[in-house]
Amino acid sequence: MTAPVGGDLAIETRGLRKTYRSVRGRAVGVEGLDLQVPVGGVHGFLGPNGSGKTTTIRMLLGLVRPDRGTATIFGHPVPRRLPEVVGRVGAIVESPKFFPAFSARRNLSLLADAIGTPRSRVDVVLDEVGLTGRARDRYRTYSLGMKQRLAIAATLLKDPDLLIFDEPTNGLDPAGIREIRRTMRSLGDQGKTVLVSSHVLAEVEQIADTVSIVARGRLVASGRVADLLGSGAGSRAVRVRVAPDDVTIATSVLETGGLLVRREHGALLVEGLDDAGAVNRALGERGVWAHELTPLQPDLESVFLGLTQHETPGAPTRGRRRRRGGPPDPPAAREQPSDLATEVGA
Amino acid sequence: MMRLLRVELRRLWARRVTRWACVGILVLAALSTVVAYGTARPPSPQEVAAAEGAYAAELEVWEAEGAEQVADCEASAEAEGATPQEWGCTDMEPRLDWYLPPSQTFVADAGQDPAVFGSESVNTDDPATAAAVQEVRGSVWNGWAGLSSLDDLAMLLLMGALVVGVSFVTAEVNSGSLGMWLTFEPRRQRVYWSKATAAAIGTAPLVVAGFALLVASSYAAFASFGTLGDVTGAVWAEVAAFTGRLVLAGAALAAIGVALGVLFKHAAAAVGVVAVVAWASLAFGYAFGELQRWLPTTALTAWLQGGSVFTVENCTPAADGVFECVPVDHVVTTAQGGLLLLAATVVLTGAAMLVFRWRDVS
Repeated sequence: MTAPVGGDLAIETRGLRKTYRSVRGRAVGVEGLDLQVPVGGVHGFLGPNGSGKTTTIRMLLGLVRPDRGTATIFGHPVPRRLPEVVGRVGAIVESPKFFPAFSARRNLSLLADAIGTPRSRVDVVLDEVGLTGRARDRYRTYSLGMKQRLAIAATLLKDPDLLIFDEPTNGLDPAGIREIRRTMRSLGDQGKTVLVSSHVLAEVEQIADTVSIVARGRLVASGRVADLLGSGAGSRAVRVRVAPDDVTIATSVLETGGLLVRREHGALLVEGLDDAGAVNRALGERGVWAHELTPLQPDLESVFLGLTQHETPGAPTRGRRRRRGGPPDPPAAREQPSDLATEVGA
Repeated sequence: MMRLLRVELRRLWARRVTRWACVGILVLAALSTVVAYGTARPPSPQEVAAAEGAYAAELEVWEAEGAEQVADCEASAEAEGATPQEWGCTDMEPRLDWYLPPSQTFVADAGQDPAVFGSESVNTDDPATAAAVQEVRGSVWNGWAGLSSLDDLAMLLLMGALVVGVSFVTAEVNSGSLGMWLTFEPRRQRVYWSKATAAAIGTAPLVVAGFALLVASSYAAFASFGTLGDVTGAVWAEVAAFTGRLVLAGAALAAIGVALGVLFKHAAAAVGVVAVVAWASLAFGYAFGELQRWLPTTALTAWLQGGSVFTVENCTPAADGVFECVPVDHVVTTAQGGLLLLAATVVLTGAAMLVFRWRDVS
């Protein structure tokens, strides 16, 4: 597990645990979660469905009470002292939820009045998310993307230092996803702390500075995205092309060297590498010359799958359950430019 | 807290349920006016002529056979061990008003026959209870008159306040907006109080305006026929007092509605529970004997009408083994009814607040 990023923390949890009653016993939602979110930037909160992301967020916001453990936001223990810090926190938990029969403006003005924000701010935030033209329409007539934008507008009413987005792009079209992603990145660049929970890894990889990966309610990895990608949590691989007559001998040479070789679209996908140059050397020593040697960098998805592949979500249990280990799956690899070869092979 | 209360009041009055409640009150007042016009109309000359004809014919029979009928009545009464008065033998001579179509006045006519219009004899040995029973039965809310019928409609206003209270929180729970709300104001105790207080205060204008409309429309209907009866200052004072008690009851029921909404989370369940309790109290109340005084419907009636009378059959075995049952009147005073209503509000509100404070919000 990568060490957490140092410095001030926007969010910190220690040993956070939450169980739910079910007909089959107690289902563990979160099991001893230790989470650290640094101040500033975008922090991805990753995990399979049912891994406890939403439950954790709900506990941070005082919507759900933990069975055990502690949580702080900007150093304030929550939920006990949440009222002192709630003004600095904007959150969207799962899908946006407003009064369906009220217009966007009325929904926001009620929230603004509740926290003592001037109503003029409502028009400002509606404009910021591009909803001014539909501000008088009932919320129930909004598309999912508009609802999501309205929820972001609601969080901006407070001008918060910490924004928590729980699966913010669920159900959005590509344009909507891009817009939300840009908004989150922009907020992070403004120095705000953005915690975004998601299981869409490509999304998080594009915008997050740091990530925490949870599985079955526990933290399994945490740190900078770049560090995680280079941590070996997802295995390294190289795609090799040789002359068609040399494929058999090349496969034999590499397998003899202890590497895992698969044929893929006329090329060889070689995994289990410590050093990409070793492939070239081994082939050269046997007189086989590679036409192409492309490092495949593990992406966040492969790291994630490697860490969580054996975790099944939310099965009820009557006691603590140890996470099962096991080798990671072959990487869901993504082709990288060749100038990254040394980084991958390092 | 005041800021939250103002916001909740704004939300309450912006809700469609509240607006529909206003429409419902208008419809209720319109229907009430139509009914009032029907009952306020005095008998037409044709109806009076027909009644006089029937009365004259019956009087003729009475003059021929009346003495014999009275003697038969007295003999039967004596055979059953009763007095002639108890059997009504002294009141057998036909009267013209028996044959006239019933016609109401706005305020009960002092000359109304108590045996016909519900102010029957008092069944108790306790003088204090007897006086209280007399007072309750003599109230403007008892008897057969336009004003007396409005207390039943006032109950509908109270049910409206309850439904508004229930839906005020269940809509929030079911839409999920409560979660969003709590991310802005996490102090749940404050949030609960603001909702309950807003429901209690916000429904008051609805109840006042609704009842005023009912009284005004009924008064206008009777006034148009000149059948108001003896509307004195004391009657208006009682109407004002009733309105005050009605507002307080409306506030209590709206708060109870909020509490039930929090406890059950679904409007149908919360309203259903109230409906079942009210129906069981009204349909099977007599089976509870003296415990009737603790029924919510008894308490509400007592609070609104300035007291409520219920009767319990007191049965004792006679020498021949047959049970003899004597009706005994009991009184629930305004204060007792009010206290019971207050206690129910406090208990339900306390329970709901505890649940609201600790329940996980999805």
